[in-house]
Amino acid sequence: MDQQYEGKGVCFFAYNNEEIDYVKLATLCARYVKHFLNVEVCLITDEGSYHWLKESQKEYYKEFFDYVVITDDQMKKNVRNHFDSPWTQFPAQFSNSNKHRVYEYSPFEQTLLLDIDYIVKTDFLNRVWELEGVAMFDKAASLRNDSPHFNERYLYDAGVKMWWSTVIYFDRSNESKLFFDLWSHVAENYDFYQFLYNFPGKLFRTDYCVSVATHILNGMIDSDFVNSIDDKMYYMDQKDDWIESHSIQEWIMLANDLDKNWENILCNHRNLDVHVMNKRALDRQWEPLMEYFNEL
Amino acid sequence: MDERLQKALEFSNYNLTITNEKRNIKNRVNQLQIVHHSGGVFLAQPETIAFVKALIDLEYKESIIIDTKENPIRISDLKELLEKLVNAYTSATQEFEVEYNKIRKSRSIKSIMGW
Repeated sequence: MDQQYEGKGVCFFAYNNEEIDYVKLATLCARYVKHFLNVEVCLITDEGSYHWLKESQKEYYKEFFDYVVITDDQMKKNVRNHFDSPWTQFPAQFSNSNKHRVYEYSPFEQTLLLDIDYIVKTDFLNRVWELEGVAMFDKAASLRNDSPHFNERYLYDAGVKMWWSTVIYFDRSNESKLFFDLWSHVAENYDFYQFLYNFPGKLFRTDYCVSVATHILNGMIDSDFVNSIDDKMYYMDQKDDWIESHSIQEWIMLANDLDKNWENILCNHRNLDVHVMNKRALDRQWEPLMEYFNEL
Repeated sequence: MDERLQKALEFSNYNLTITNEKRNIKNRVNQLQIVHHSGGVFLAQPETIAFVKALIDLEYKESIIIDTKENPIRISDLKELLEKLVNAYTSATQEFEVEYNKIRKSRSIKSIMGW
């Protein structure tokens, strides 16, 4: 029997490792989603992380996750070098090789897949429910309102546009199925597509998988098979830092100058969703932000 | 350091911060101006509002309008779209004014940060 999908909701993947408590961060993000988007939330995780979630987030996990999907997918070894400001860095496993399987795992008819470090501080993303097919961001801006580095806007000098897998909306249309099937093919043949598209690095990145899939489905030209979400994805770089939070929406951050790491500007970031790439900074703000929510 | 240069650099830093804050406000305002209607995406800006109003004044009840993604969108009720556009425009500009005035009155980085 075919699986029944119902309604609309947000999915998060969260697989803990020895450095980052992903399920803890997912709990905070889910709380933001509940507050600003008012939709159901599904956590996709593994047995060990779920066990830890139940133990460490006793008071929250039932309230903020309506569904939990336990997976046992074999993850590729994928070590990412994380920064926490320019002055601290640490390696950690980045388990993302099954992200395309959200199409199977999501219980929803219309799904918004968010990374656990994408904080929804407005209802802006509620507009995606009106879209058909797949939607992602294809533009981004830093805390300094700069565009990302050239090789984060294009797949290196092959000149193919980069799409961000941080936020992905999809429905159950044939187009969405085609997209996720192709993503799975690109993921399985990553080395070949890396050679073909000439994108850099050893890290397995789903941004590259979705960009290649979109390029192929567009007929190898710049077209509109995938909907572009109507704004930029605002992001806090891993080398930026977070000084304090004035409320659930108003955060004081340090925007680092990537060319001159000793220079920063202060940034009062409010009323815009933001991709917090410095996960340790997000972890440090977890308690004050939860407190602000509790006081509402 | 020459005092004149030191003062200029301090002001430069202040200006860099305030310009970035203004851009953040503009980003928020741009988001508020986006209107989804009949499967199309429209920007609530004076030109769009004036065009839709012109069609209504010419007694068109429905029309096809090219949206921001350059797709032709059939609008079956122009008045409904006009209302949405005007609401989005006014709420965006109201928030713009409030936030802009906060920054305009700030005379230091500390006050911009709410310290």
